[in-house]
Amino acid sequence: MDNSFLAYIQKLETMAFFSGYALVYTGVLFLSGNKLFKSKFVDKLVLLLPYTYAFVGALFLGFQIRKLYPDYSPEHIRLLIQQSYLVIWGFLSIAFWLPVFNKRPVLSLIHSLVFFCVLAGDLFIQLTTPSADNNILKNDMKVYGASMILNLGVLGFLAILVTLYTYFKDKQMQHRHTTRRQKRHP
Amino acid sequence: MKRFNKILMIALIFISGYGLVASCTHKNDPLPASVSTAVKISRGTHVHLAGVVLGDTSQWKFDKVHSAVNWSSPFLEVGADLTGKFNQFGVADLKDAMMLNYITTKQPVPDTSWAFYENEPAKTHFAGYIQTNQVNTGEPGRDGGCLITTFGTTKIVAGTQNLTAANVARIKTTSVAFDAASSGYIVTFDFTWQVGTGPAVTQSIVGKLSYIPETLVPGTTNSEFGLKLEFQINKADFGIINTEVADKVSIVVNANFNNK
Repeated sequence: MDNSFLAYIQKLETMAFFSGYALVYTGVLFLSGNKLFKSKFVDKLVLLLPYTYAFVGALFLGFQIRKLYPDYSPEHIRLLIQQSYLVIWGFLSIAFWLPVFNKRPVLSLIHSLVFFCVLAGDLFIQLTTPSADNNILKNDMKVYGASMILNLGVLGFLAILVTLYTYFKDKQMQHRHTTRRQKRHP
Repeated sequence: MKRFNKILMIALIFISGYGLVASCTHKNDPLPASVSTAVKISRGTHVHLAGVVLGDTSQWKFDKVHSAVNWSSPFLEVGADLTGKFNQFGVADLKDAMMLNYITTKQPVPDTSWAFYENEPAKTHFAGYIQTNQVNTGEPGRDGGCLITTFGTTKIVAGTQNLTAANVARIKTTSVAFDAASSGYIVTFDFTWQVGTGPAVTQSIVGKLSYIPETLVPGTTNSEFGLKLEFQINKADFGIINTEVADKVSIVVNANFNNK
């Protein structure tokens, strides 16, 4: 097996995690800016976007750790991480858990555009080179589709989680209020 | 910011859409495998054995009325084919003692010198004959005239089946094998022909045998199957001197059998 093939696979991996985020991000922002769709839920989704990105980053980190298991030696890491810049850039997405970054959701968009640019680069090569292998583009588009599903799935998962958390928290608060009132006016 | 987001979203959708369309092509797909031109050979396991007992459907009888021995040869070796057939023939191994004149209009000897095994050609065998004075080209002057002289035989005697050595050409298989190129068989047989008072000449000839599988005859309870034997002889090898027809004579034997 050639190293360039491994590098290509790794490029696809990073794209599978992050390239679909940009479209999900702009889509959610479009909904929040549209009067027809504007609601509390959509606003909540906007707030969840950087967390979604960070969550996907965590999944990517887990995936790489799983791939390295059980040999975490530098040699093995060097052998497996062929697209070091892309992978490190992908790991940086975890930083969006930190309030300093997730308060600026646009940063997550900029971060993810790097991966979208990789896809756009392949598209450009396909457009300008008639003899280019179309299978590369086919793979890119499949991975891009999978990435959008992953990002939408994570966003949906986080939205459900937050909704449930809010619901139970509200219920608990209500319970406390009722208990306090009963204590005051038995 | 909203405007920027809209523009960005449109750009992303446009690029993604282009990618989707561009990737949706069969440009680099491997071509489908070409249609196989190999002959598909399938053989059954039919076994047909000769018999004479009428009504016994396990015994197959030679259907002489619906069979034929045809020949063709280029006229004057240059023209289109001159064709003809033999009116009297049979599927019997003529031993010397059987080579007589028979006063009958029916088959003079039982047509039982054959067996056919569709999937075991080594077991398949047959022997047959034609009466040379029964040649029929549709021209009475030729059939009862010059051809009788050419074949060195005698004219037809009404009500007589002439199976004498000078009036028959015989075949007898020596081996039958599968044909690798078709669903037929390659048959090697001895072709014996005595022209006039000359010596009988026997030559080993290779022909192609085709089997037309057993099928129930519509409206009846009996079945029919066919065998088609195609081969060529060189008439000069047997001492036939005739400039009207070419040396190479193609012969096609269409034999039908039923189990009535």
